[in-house]
Amino acid sequence: MRDRLRHLHQVQSDSEGLSSVEHDHLSVHEAATASSPPDPYLYGVLQEAQQIRLEIQQIQNEISELKDANYQALNKISHPAETERDSNAIGVAIKHRGEAVLQRLHMMSALRAELEARRGSSDPTERIAQTQYQCLSNALREVMISYNDTEMSHREACKQQIQRQMEVVGREVGEEDLEEMMESGELNVFSTQVEGKTARSAFLQTESRQKEVLELEKRIEGIQELFLDVAVLTEEQGGAVENIQKSVQNTEVIIQDAVVQLDRATTFDKSNPFKKLFCCCSFDHCKIL
Amino acid sequence: AGGSAGCSSFSAGCPSPSAFFVLSVKKDGEWKVLIVDHMSMRILSSCCKMSDILAEGVTIVEDINKRREPISSLEAIYLISPVEKSVHALINDFKDAAFTYKAAHIFFTDTCPDGLFTEIGRARVAKVIKTLKEINVAFLPYEAQVFSLDDPNSLYSFYSSKPNKDKDKMIENLAEQIATLCDTLKEYPAIRYRKGPEDNARLADEVYQRLTAHKADNPSMGEGADKARSQLLIVDRGFDPISPILHELTFQAMAYDLLDIKQDIYTYQTTGIGNSNDREVLLDEDDELWVQLRHMHIADVTKKVTELLRTFCESKRMCTDNANLKDLSQMLKKMPQYQKELSMYSTHLHLAEACMKTFKGSLDKLCEVEQDLAMGANAEGEPLKDAMKSIVPVLLNNEIGAYEKIRIILLYIFHKKRGIGEENLAKLIQHANIQADSNIITNLQNLGCNIIAGQTLPERRERTESTYQLSRWAPIIKDVMENAIEDKLDRKQWPFICDPAPINTTQTAVSARFGHWHKNKSPTEYRSGPRLIIFVIGGVSQSEMRSAYEVTRATDGKWEVLIGSSHILTPTSFLNDLKSLDQVPNPDC
Repeated sequence: MRDRLRHLHQVQSDSEGLSSVEHDHLSVHEAATASSPPDPYLYGVLQEAQQIRLEIQQIQNEISELKDANYQALNKISHPAETERDSNAIGVAIKHRGEAVLQRLHMMSALRAELEARRGSSDPTERIAQTQYQCLSNALREVMISYNDTEMSHREACKQQIQRQMEVVGREVGEEDLEEMMESGELNVFSTQVEGKTARSAFLQTESRQKEVLELEKRIEGIQELFLDVAVLTEEQGGAVENIQKSVQNTEVIIQDAVVQLDRATTFDKSNPFKKLFCCCSFDHCKIL
Repeated sequence: AGGSAGCSSFSAGCPSPSAFFVLSVKKDGEWKVLIVDHMSMRILSSCCKMSDILAEGVTIVEDINKRREPISSLEAIYLISPVEKSVHALINDFKDAAFTYKAAHIFFTDTCPDGLFTEIGRARVAKVIKTLKEINVAFLPYEAQVFSLDDPNSLYSFYSSKPNKDKDKMIENLAEQIATLCDTLKEYPAIRYRKGPEDNARLADEVYQRLTAHKADNPSMGEGADKARSQLLIVDRGFDPISPILHELTFQAMAYDLLDIKQDIYTYQTTGIGNSNDREVLLDEDDELWVQLRHMHIADVTKKVTELLRTFCESKRMCTDNANLKDLSQMLKKMPQYQKELSMYSTHLHLAEACMKTFKGSLDKLCEVEQDLAMGANAEGEPLKDAMKSIVPVLLNNEIGAYEKIRIILLYIFHKKRGIGEENLAKLIQHANIQADSNIITNLQNLGCNIIAGQTLPERRERTESTYQLSRWAPIIKDVMENAIEDKLDRKQWPFICDPAPINTTQTAVSARFGHWHKNKSPTEYRSGPRLIIFVIGGVSQSEMRSAYEVTRATDGKWEVLIGSSHILTPTSFLNDLKSLDQVPNPDC
């Protein structure tokens, strides 16, 4: 990587003395003010996008909190400290926040559609809204996947502990059988055989874990609709949405064709007087555009 | 969030997104516009995803050559090639009273020539330029071990029947691009070329000069004891005309040959969660399953995907007896949180099925004939006695397309070491009824292939590895790769530009700052072993790309083989390229 800014400044100061330099009637400041006023929608879109981004980040933070809460529940039978939320509370918070983000994304999509209807699909604000919307939809999906993964990891950890505790009381259970037991809720099957302190402790642990798994599955069930909505959202956008080339080439084709035609005329047939005329006209036409 | 995981692109050379937008450019809360031209857009697109560049503070990507509306409240990053068209467009953005953007940060993909640089310095835009850098990445990292220079017209530029007056300039540009590749990889390889065609030597020489210039600016290129063994080989397309036209049965090569895959996007009909619609999937290295499957034989692909899908379903306790395509949409509705994985399995099941469907039509017989011709022997190893007998039914078959017939005819011609003779060629063309496309065959002579009088292709290495009957052929470049690595590559046929430098005994610590911006990997994964880089003039075939990976694997990681060209061929695109060689340049290109 070569930095040539200093070199540029040299060229600038060298050429300041020469008469061939474009005479700059307008200062940079004037040029800035001469430009069209900034689009209020643009500011609004970018602000909203940033807010949504922060909300998604907040969901990620809550997933971390959930990880801790799950871990604590796994390693102590007693309830977590008063000031900390338990897994269910966090789960509810994540669900509500996720649903809120989804709503905001729908609104952003509607705004984009309105901009497109009013200004056409080559309008920069519309396209910026599109880019942000697609990226944020993806981000929401990623964060929901992360939530699912976190809960599934915890479920697996609980299952393993149940398996270990059952071994402690001399009852070895295979994976498949354990799954069946957990699903049917018949883990108290061996409670009648429980005797002695160790066995009792194992029984309590297992009961706790089983309860957690049930609560976890309830949480997942409760958020299923959100998963579905997010999946529909990303499916609608199509798989190649992340592709930069597609994003660049999707801008209005009609204008592009016109520009390409002009390019062709300019580059490939400079000698043709008829086309020379066309070039001049089209260049002026370009300026008007 | 939303960033791509996995081993995307060039194992060692792909610049990460942040490499493009060095430190000072990203400011919190300040979004920027990114402006690209065609080449830089292609480079960027092969390295980064939209979410990557959004994470770098870019909110929209514009084509510099399209009419753009001003976004005067935002600053612009120009990632462009240092060519007249792009530089003039840049200057034009700041020519009028109202500036198109608030300021400009310029990143050139390569060294900006003095003339253009001065133009910028003298224009009004200079007053609002906050950054001006040259990043020296003028190539596309297409895959971990495959690069492209994104010039599909290259075959024409080198081998057209009409003399190319811009050829010198073109070779210089090409050499510069290859030099930036070595620069990015921190390699200073010994350059060799295949003796024969003049252009091979010319290009090799020019690359050497550019490489040396780059090393003067970046002395860490080629540092490290092992690096002294790195080699760069320049070879012409005509040296192996068989590999680009053979029907391959490995997943990637087969899919690109038989199906309509444009810009690496595969489109198919499916019922997802919603209604039935077109799904577009990008086949690149972010798709972990694609990376796993792409070089596998098609017979193994469906088996593998089904097995993986079954394992996946079991692990998620999704009960399904027959994990097939129809069930997938049901699974998707029941467990939408696994949309990504399920879509991936669905895509590859569809892709494999589409390949097999097209293959079962008429191709199975064709492939048998092709392999026999290419190998000069049948599957049992018995030399081919009457090749003509096996190709005539193909040529007379009206259901077989013109291009398929041409591929067979060409393989027949190459099989005949003593050439085919004008009369016989005319007869074949007539039998096949391909007069309209017959120039494809004759144009091959522009590549140095002697159609009429015949030629001998290089002697082949003996291969003991077991192969499917219809996949016996190994690209000739594979032999070259293995020979080069074993230091057995004949110096008379593959001369060095200059004698290889003596092994440097002083080891210098390699700075992790330069060049090794692994996308998601730590600097400790810098590759210290030697590399073999192959550049094919005129296009590289998918089977040759596969060879690079196979040979690398066989060295147990001691060597890394990279291969690339101006563009990546499919048999159809190669035949189209050949067809154009005797025609006037198309102004639409």
